Amino acid sequence: VKAIRARARVQRWSFRQRHLAHGAWERFRLALAHAERAFVVDEATAGALRAEGCAVDVAGCDLEPPRVIMWISAERAKELPSARELPLRLSADLLASTHLVLVPFTDQP
Amino acid sequence: VRFRDRLVSTLRAVAPVLEVPGVLVGGSEVPNLLEVGAAATLVVSQDVDLVVPVGALEAVKAQLGRITRLAPSTEEPSVWLPRGDATELIEVNFIGMDPAIVDPIDTYELTDERLPLMVFGPLSLLAPGTVLEIDGVRIPLPRPAGLALEKLVTDRTGEKGDRDLLVVAGLLLTMSPEDLADMEVTYGRLPAEMRHQVRSNLSILSLLDARPHMPDPRPQRARVDALLRRLEQP
Repeated sequence: VKAIRARARVQRWSFRQRHLAHGAWERFRLALAHAERAFVVDEATAGALRAEGCAVDVAGCDLEPPRVIMWISAERAKELPSARELPLRLSADLLASTHLVLVPFTDQP
Repeated sequence: VRFRDRLVSTLRAVAPVLEVPGVLVGGSEVPNLLEVGAAATLVVSQDVDLVVPVGALEAVKAQLGRITRLAPSTEEPSVWLPRGDATELIEVNFIGMDPAIVDPIDTYELTDERLPLMVFGPLSLLAPGTVLEIDGVRIPLPRPAGLALEKLVTDRTGEKGDRDLLVVAGLLLTMSPEDLADMEVTYGRLPAEMRHQVRSNLSILSLLDARPHMPDPRPQRARVDALLRRLEQP
């Protein structure tokens, strides 16, 4: 019982910290959960996308270093020469990427 | 012996307890039982939980004498183990549900000489659902929405946490639009902290990898996304 209550206290503490680092991590994870596909791109490609009008999702801004996350269509992703698709798992590759473009789910089940 | 047969045989062995009104089969075996013909291919754990409302404890204790193929563990009397001649059975955990609590922090131990129970707050999210009849055994199950939320409101860390979330992946396979609407309504009644935990755990589930002999979460990612969107609506 003590262990369960201790876990619950930690859970509460985490909730209170959600606007600090812990919250930033969770916002990042939620963004990934909403993505059907993820691609890592180089800085130049990210800059070009921004110039096209792609908005940067704040979900990556509070991480250190900040992650540039942009949402694009699957068709646009195919056109990006530097894009390398990553499986949507919490892998070292994905976590180390500083420029990510995400494709949202389109067909809702 | 197939796992399905072990599971059904175990539930047959505890059938007298399953006759008590309010008692439910809970936990990771529910997705197995909800498969067509209770195929039980989504093996997550080798035990089965019997959820006992604290108000039904005396009625459950009155039935324990009719259970002959399992016996309480000496270390933990709420865990019943197969007797020596019943090795095909799996362990049974008796756990308590108290409708007066829901928060994990309110979890308590209900002391009793015959059947002490760990009473977990989130279990009160379970509501009675379908009663399956499998090979002549009557199996009362909770509604999937409450069971999914029960798994999602608790902080899930490490291997055990991942397994619990994979139970939700298994449930999502079988949940109907009505179940999802049910989940949304129950979610809306939760305190803000627990709602936050639900969303956080769903995002973790979405990013889990497949594991052998467990529900594969990857084909469920679109469903998780849709569910998250429903739950994120103000």
